[in-house]
Amino acid sequence: MEEFSLYVLDIVMNSVRAGADNIDVTLDDRGGMLTFKVTDDGCGMTKDQLERLTDPFFTTRKTRGVGLGVPFLKMLAEQTGGDVTVSSVAVSDSPEHHGTTLVATFHPDHIDFIPMGDIKDTFVTLIQGNPDVNFTFVHLMDGGEVRLSCAELRSVLGDGIPLSSAEVLAWIRDYLAEAYQEIK
Amino acid sequence: MHKMKLSEIVDSLSLSVVTGGIDRDFEGVYAGDFLSRAMSRVEADDLWITIMNNVNVIAVASLTDAAAILLAENVSLMPDALAAAREKDVTVLSSGLSVYELCVALGRYGTVS
Repeated sequence: MEEFSLYVLDIVMNSVRAGADNIDVTLDDRGGMLTFKVTDDGCGMTKDQLERLTDPFFTTRKTRGVGLGVPFLKMLAEQTGGDVTVSSVAVSDSPEHHGTTLVATFHPDHIDFIPMGDIKDTFVTLIQGNPDVNFTFVHLMDGGEVRLSCAELRSVLGDGIPLSSAEVLAWIRDYLAEAYQEIK
Repeated sequence: MHKMKLSEIVDSLSLSVVTGGIDRDFEGVYAGDFLSRAMSRVEADDLWITIMNNVNVIAVASLTDAAAILLAENVSLMPDALAAAREKDVTVLSSGLSVYELCVALGRYGTVS
């Protein structure tokens, strides 16, 4: 994974696999710091699971499909003088209000930070593969912000048209390209 | 390259054994520090030369079934990485030479066919 956008994809897929209906992804790229935040209402993790989250042997061996995602993200964050914090409420502890919040901070101008990659593409890939999830993407930059809400899209389109249909994805792609263009 | 015992290069290149056995054969060498790339490039029974010293290195070596990790430039393992290497039975060797110097030394020794 040589681009940051791939880390975003990898981490957000954890929320998808946790069965989340609503996933908020925020990238705050302002003032020389980069904060990546994911909040979901998935099944969450117990205290025990949370403690072992950054242990690669826990993630690669005992839970399926999680991989080295969080350990690698933490390593990247720490290499650039940042950090990763995760808080979570397990569905077994709170059937009503459960989910996970991950916050990762980076110094993007650190020599060991990797290229940003194509964040637009990551957002589109996530929607395409998970059209029923309510993603909210927010990218805050010094020059402005890009926002995309799947719930809003769905309310405009109605229930009959899946967000993964070719026309909708093409529209999302154009919308994001334009939104980023305006900021540059 | 042909099979070679870890103990053979430990002797000839004066490597330190940080942890694990050196009776195993290695059949190839990979050098690199980018872990996500190493995960797809290190092959089973490879000797993997790196300067990365955190627990994720042990995880990647374990997943790829590398014959051993060879730490260059006298890098020492982080305590949790050392504990993981012992627990997962991953052999870790170390040397004061750089990655480049180790590759040259291994090549001269005959690991390049």
